[in-house]
Amino acid sequence: MKTAIEVKKLCKSYSNIKAAQNIDISICFGEVFGLLGANGAGKSTTVECILGTKKQDSGTVSILGMNPQQERKRLFEKVGVQFQEANYQDKIRVAELCKVTASLYRNAADYIGLLEQFGLSDKLKSPVSELSGGQKQRLFIVLSLIPNPEIVFLDELTTGLDARARRDVWRSLLDLKQKGLTILLTSHFMDEVEVLCDKIMILKKGEAIFYGTIQDAVAASPYEKLEEAYLWYTDEEEKEYESI
Amino acid sequence: MKAFKTLLKTEISLSLRGMDMFIFAICMPIVVVVILGALFGNKPAFEGAEYTFLEQSFGAVSTIAICAGGVMGLPLVVSDYRSRKILKRFKVTPISPALILTVQVVIYTLYSIASLILVYMISALFFDYQLRGSWSQFLGAYLLVMLSMFSIGLLVGGLAPNTKIAGVAASLLYFPMLIFSGATLPYEIMPAGLQKAANMLPLTQGIKLLKAASLGLPIDSVFIPVVVMIIIAVICVTISLRFFKWE
Repeated sequence: MKTAIEVKKLCKSYSNIKAAQNIDISICFGEVFGLLGANGAGKSTTVECILGTKKQDSGTVSILGMNPQQERKRLFEKVGVQFQEANYQDKIRVAELCKVTASLYRNAADYIGLLEQFGLSDKLKSPVSELSGGQKQRLFIVLSLIPNPEIVFLDELTTGLDARARRDVWRSLLDLKQKGLTILLTSHFMDEVEVLCDKIMILKKGEAIFYGTIQDAVAASPYEKLEEAYLWYTDEEEKEYESI
Repeated sequence: MKAFKTLLKTEISLSLRGMDMFIFAICMPIVVVVILGALFGNKPAFEGAEYTFLEQSFGAVSTIAICAGGVMGLPLVVSDYRSRKILKRFKVTPISPALILTVQVVIYTLYSIASLILVYMISALFFDYQLRGSWSQFLGAYLLVMLSMFSIGLLVGGLAPNTKIAGVAASLLYFPMLIFSGATLPYEIMPAGLQKAANMLPLTQGIKLLKAASLGLPIDSVFIPVVVMIIIAVICVTISLRFFKWE
């Protein structure tokens, strides 16, 4: 299988804090990759260095064979991004934000259809600021899909969504996965990771403490569920400390 | 082109919804011209002058909108979009910084032109104003003033590290220029010392050109103000594009 995203020895630190240390990631086309870890473990930093919105201290990144710093305009024709925080102009309406986003791409998707798929078709005229947290979240997933992307980055994709909306988002993403979309996501919800991800990486203090398939992650731990295995991976040090 | 048109249309709606530019660039020059017209109306600019006070002030008043948009609106909108991380979101799309900035410049150009038309119509209809010089010279000078003011605004918006500093810088540029360059307070009634200080402001030079074109007076030194304003514009635009920061 061909690689869609290749990250080698990525390092990034802020003053004294090492936010990412020697991160290696390789994601094939059509794969869904989950980046896991507690708050502050370095997920967002890693994602931003991959996207080129932050400059790494060392290491290389290649998305679709392109360097995101040097080939930004060509690359982002084919890559959709949803950031953790929703950023939009004051007083802008849903339809306006979608239309502007669509206008930036050569082959934009039909955003009306996407809004419908994500349950927002009655919100076209609403100011984005008046949407609920979950609605905003879904809107920004829609925006990330407007480019008809080959790869999509979703940072904490279902934070703030209710149970029903979460299931709906999963279903939509699984559909897109079937059509060959490559996804890199970060998440705090292990049920979601189990449903969506083929491979995961668990980060702790900027270091990868696990990298592989979900089955491997569970098998290598003394537990049978991903959530417990995940907690076991991330808590290991504390447990050793307690036993002393 | 599609991106430019859509972004322009949306940003114009957003700007009008925001109201501040409507007040500062459209309403304020109208208020100033009405007050000047009502107070001094058709009185001569000074004893023995061949033109009226309003005719003398027309060029200056027509730049209020340029000043408001260029050194207040433009830097604030750019730094606001940066601090709200809207530019960060744009960075992960194929848009170029030049397109984002051009859209904003076009919006403030439209405000300025709308203001010029309104100020002209009010002056002509209610206060018997007429442009004695050449329209082409006047419009050329007007374009030049826009170019230099907007480029200063782009520079401030592009380089200010946060909205607060952009706001302070904008006020430091806006208020002295608005008051001392002759845009609101007529240059002619200032004491000589203040006139000298005001001459340092690029807007003052621009207003002198406009005034000469409006009154049909000979301009003794067009060359220097024109060159100075063009140089300012080229330097500011180059720096603001070269050092454009998405975040």
